[in-house]
Amino acid sequence: MRRENGQWLPWVLLVVALLFLILVEAGAFGPLESLLGYIISPVERGVSTVIELLGGLGQSARDVQQLQQQVEDLQRANATLIQENFRLREFKAENDELRRKLNFVQDNPTYSYVGADVVEYGCGIFPCATVVGEDTNPYLQYVIINAGSRNGVAVGMPVVTSGAALVGRVARVSRNLAYVQLINNPQSQVAAMLQESRITGMVVGTTEGTLTMIDILPDEKVLGGETIITSATGGLLPRGLILGQVESVTYLESDLFQRAAIRPAIDFRRLETVLVITDFPRVNLEELEGAP
Amino acid sequence: MSLYFGIPILLIAAVLQSVLLESVQILGGRPDLVLLLVVTWAIIRGANEGAAWGFTGGIFCDLLSGGTFGLWTLALTAVGFLAGQPWVHALGPTIIRLALMSALGTLFGHGLLLGAMALLGYSVNLARDVQTVAGPAALLNFLLSPFTFTFLVWFHKRSQPRWGGQGE
Repeated sequence: MRRENGQWLPWVLLVVALLFLILVEAGAFGPLESLLGYIISPVERGVSTVIELLGGLGQSARDVQQLQQQVEDLQRANATLIQENFRLREFKAENDELRRKLNFVQDNPTYSYVGADVVEYGCGIFPCATVVGEDTNPYLQYVIINAGSRNGVAVGMPVVTSGAALVGRVARVSRNLAYVQLINNPQSQVAAMLQESRITGMVVGTTEGTLTMIDILPDEKVLGGETIITSATGGLLPRGLILGQVESVTYLESDLFQRAAIRPAIDFRRLETVLVITDFPRVNLEELEGAP
Repeated sequence: MSLYFGIPILLIAAVLQSVLLESVQILGGRPDLVLLLVVTWAIIRGANEGAAWGFTGGIFCDLLSGGTFGLWTLALTAVGFLAGQPWVHALGPTIIRLALMSALGTLFGHGLLLGAMALLGYSVNLARDVQTVAGPAALLNFLLSPFTFTFLVWFHKRSQPRWGGQGE
């Protein structure tokens, strides 16, 4: 084996690695990271394509491919219908809510009213991206998508699947790639509500990669199977994006709030294509604060 | 320095780790290809080159991670440095110390990664992470180390004509 004349190099490299961490934490590492990103993103896309091609070679029988295609089509159609059903139930709940408000107005004709939404959202430009890789750090729940700053993607933007199920939010962006923090990441927190009962809470990720809804008031009655959607409180996300369904509810006397285990609406290990919501109408908090 | 072929090898390994191995489950876990290459090269060529490969591989892994840039770079540089230390030679014949250091290096690297993540405020569940991620990765790297050794010795022989000294 080779003899080492001096071991200064590893120490220098260790110091540089520590400097990376310090610079990133201080927010002074962006330009260099972008430059390095230029090098790796085309390589990753190329390798990803090669792997997809190699994977397809294993299925030589034509009928097997056709059957697989049919199953995929049916699964896709089924997923779309389920998510469409969620959307329709959301519209029904909204309709019921508006009807209740209308009845209140009719019952109290002497009052004056101003209608308002907590946060509304509309259509933006949705860059469609393919999931090209997963995080090399096995302790973090991120996916890497092939849309970056050149497509208008920026940090904080929500990422959804085609049926309006929330995947996560963009945590980092390079020119060609974006790193999406999944909602089951332990650092993720999403303001949420139950679709039918309108009970609010926070959906958080756990270190086990599961989803939990916390901060549910103890006197609220949460039913299993109810759909959980984003509530848009805080204005970071549009309202009505699907998060999952209530699986079970726990409440300990010592806790201040109930918590619900959630069955996610999507399988995070099988993400293929996603949409990034680049814009949606938000409440301008500065305007509200400045209002008399 | 061996980085002229180390860079493409580590880059491809990092990309494979991201696009292929992250969805693979063997024995309840998945191998850590870049870390295994770094340990193997450090065993073959010593601490200086081990650290250099660790630094390079760490940068590639960090570029393919949404976590704080530098986590992998720090962990893999330290692993490369550790695996190339002279005391490692006392662990027995090359293939034995390679297998041992692959497992120990994986545990050390993941331990450092988790420690740095905890310091930076990430949620870390040490018992679960060791049981479900670091432990299986150490076992798989232990089993795969002879293959990476054979692969990298081929490169080593071409970049080091005097290979074969010291009873190897």
